[in-house]
Amino acid sequence: MANQFYWQLPTSGDARYGNATKQRRGEASDPHYPVFGNGITDPRRNAFSYFDYIHQVTKAADLAGFQGVFIPDNPDGEEPWIVAGYVGRSTQRLKLLTQFDASRGSAVYAAKNAVSFQRYTGGRFAWHITEGSSDEHTRKQLGDFVPKADILARIDEFITVAKGVLTTFPFNFVGRFFEVQDGGFQGPLSDREVPSIYLGGNSAEQLELSAKHADVHVLDAASHEAIAQQIAAYHKLAQGRAVAFSLRIDVLARETREEALEDATRFLTQTGATIPADDSALLWPGFAEQHTGAKASLIGSYDEVAAALAAYAHVGVTQFVLAAVPHFEEAYRVGTHVLPLVRQLTNPAHKQAA
Amino acid sequence: MSIDVFWRIPTHGEPGSHRARDPFRGDWFPGNDNKTLSGLGGGGDDGFTYIDYLAEIARAAEISGFQGGLIPSFPNTDEPWVISAFLARETKNFRFMIPFQPGFLNPVVAARMTASLQRATGGRALYNVITGGGGPSQLWWGDPVKHDDRYGRTTEFLDVLKGIWAGGPFSYNGQFYQVEDAGLPDPLSKEEYPEIYFSGSSDAALASASKHADYYLSWLEPLDLIKEKFARVKERTDHLGRKIKCSIRVDIVARPTEEEAWREVSRGFENIPKEILDRYIAQNAGDSVGANRQRGLRPQTINSYKDFILSPNIWTGFSLLRGGQTLGIVGSYENVAARLDELVQLGTDAFILASTPHLEEAYRVGEEVLPLVRGKSGASNLRAVA
Ligand SMILES: Cc1cc2nc3c(=O)[nH]c(=O)nc-3n(C[C@H](O)[C@H](O)[C@H](O)COP(=O)(O)O)c2cc1C
Repeated sequence: MANQFYWQLPTSGDARYGNATKQRRGEASDPHYPVFGNGITDPRRNAFSYFDYIHQVTKAADLAGFQGVFIPDNPDGEEPWIVAGYVGRSTQRLKLLTQFDASRGSAVYAAKNAVSFQRYTGGRFAWHITEGSSDEHTRKQLGDFVPKADILARIDEFITVAKGVLTTFPFNFVGRFFEVQDGGFQGPLSDREVPSIYLGGNSAEQLELSAKHADVHVLDAASHEAIAQQIAAYHKLAQGRAVAFSLRIDVLARETREEALEDATRFLTQTGATIPADDSALLWPGFAEQHTGAKASLIGSYDEVAAALAAYAHVGVTQFVLAAVPHFEEAYRVGTHVLPLVRQLTNPAHKQAA
Repeated sequence: MSIDVFWRIPTHGEPGSHRARDPFRGDWFPGNDNKTLSGLGGGGDDGFTYIDYLAEIARAAEISGFQGGLIPSFPNTDEPWVISAFLARETKNFRFMIPFQPGFLNPVVAARMTASLQRATGGRALYNVITGGGGPSQLWWGDPVKHDDRYGRTTEFLDVLKGIWAGGPFSYNGQFYQVEDAGLPDPLSKEEYPEIYFSGSSDAALASASKHADYYLSWLEPLDLIKEKFARVKERTDHLGRKIKCSIRVDIVARPTEEEAWREVSRGFENIPKEILDRYIAQNAGDSVGANRQRGLRPQTINSYKDFILSPNIWTGFSLLRGGQTLGIVGSYENVAARLDELVQLGTDAFILASTPHLEEAYRVGEEVLPLVRGKSGASNLRAVA
């Protein structure tokens, strides 16, 4: 099967400059600090919101040939399911991969909302379920008091219940976190696609859970060797289970390597991030992690970045979640200049149009 | 102060009129092999989904002067959060009234969902807080908590929501919900707090409503019962030093003449299969106090639609025609408006109206009935025709 490319939506702010905290696109400007100073009248008033910008990024991903959008769950940002509905209405093809953790509430209610999503999108809604923050206090800020040791068990039950009510009637379940009696959907709500389940992690427990439930296992950006090892380890554990692998990685691609390095340096200056930069490396760990959540970024020419992505495909990755700042312009750039090269490299029969 | 009028979004399909039982519009059309089919017409797959039809209704409602609409949530319906997010961009004024049971969501997640929806719609999200009993069994929803405890949970939920809304930091140690140093992030924290409509007829419900609701919401009941109910809620909130407004959710059938209105109802009534009437007499309503109050108004014997006429223009057979509440208003445009005005005089500050089919009837009610409602002042809204 051809590789699938997802573009990440910036759910917690985005702008031309690396540091988007000052001015988010689409956001009404503070009346005390008008963006145009006093020189120019600003006709926008409150006509736009940040959602208008998110919508543009989505359309950009659609037009530029991505197969889906990834809607990350940043507690400081917009709520992913609201974003998914908002952009779902005006797209026909894009998969809507939403991230959340199982502390969001009732698994039945989540499944019921998923039914409406699937009905309205023809089955394009997907779930990337995470463990939430590893920090106890952060989780308590988010209303989650379940001890760390129980987090995976709760995800397990959450998925079991959600799949149960989506596929079975009547469905009965009594667990530690959820309980259902004679559950399940009927009439036009029944037999809807179970959202594709994405899970991640490298520990033995995480792999076991993923092997039990996931359609797609999510890998964080790492070297080609490390990714190859993780995939091999997974196959060993989940013998014979057909799971796909998705790689979450940022890209900073330019016509030439020099330009890419120049822009990488500028980005680091703007964000104030300090990472041990190695100009000769293609993979920069921690590069934009503060802004995109990805563990590393590929930095180089279009050819270099495409070759690196193709090399991941070569070791077994079939889905990519890509991001770059600013997400709007970069969606066009990556879709236009990088993806066609990757497709060519991974499927030589796929000739680029002359 | 003038009256806010909302419409309703039919979230479990829609027949083409009160007379018809099916085929249903949209993909609720019951096909042969018990599979539902899509499309407005014959059930062929035409590439549209039910949200396309709901979008038409929302637009019709906002164009014809409604504030927005209630988007009911039951086991057999689509979900209001999803519908609201889907319709955010293609509506201008339409306010999304979202019914949900607080027990189903972590309040911090709910706060973010709501603030994001406010940002996506320019502040057009509001709640109908419900507390169970609306469906056959709470355990279908995966909720093991008992009736009165659920209202305690609702109160806690709204305590937390309010506490974290403007950014916090807020800590809370309740029986059902806990948070520590919680708060909505900037810029979500700048959004307006959603207006809260609150339904539930039990004492436990009134206690919770009086603390948190902006509007107490009731189905239509006989006028003396409504009056007494509104008085009870207001007394409780007065105690707390708060003000609460009252609102009524009611189905109507309005036509140019009384005769045409009743003809619509009687034709619909004739199409009700006998089994459904028998089941109606036997049914019970679960642990909902409100639903049981309504069921108490059933006629003892049923020979014709007239057995359901409770008082002028008030008909108690609506749940038979399309499910849901029992009491509704049937009559000429003038008489329906007059009944609404009586409810205003009893203290109603807002209405949620509905009629089948919701698309065409939104225009009819907006154009023919709403202009006749005089409201609190009692003065006609109509300018004298020269
Ligand atoms: C106008 C109105 C609308 C309601 N909408 C819903 C709904 O969409 N979903 C639901 O489950 N219950 C709904 N209910 C049910 C009530 O909110 C409540 O849960 C039920 O009446 C049980 O509460 P009680 O025992 O205190 O009356 C609605 C009630 C009223 C009055």
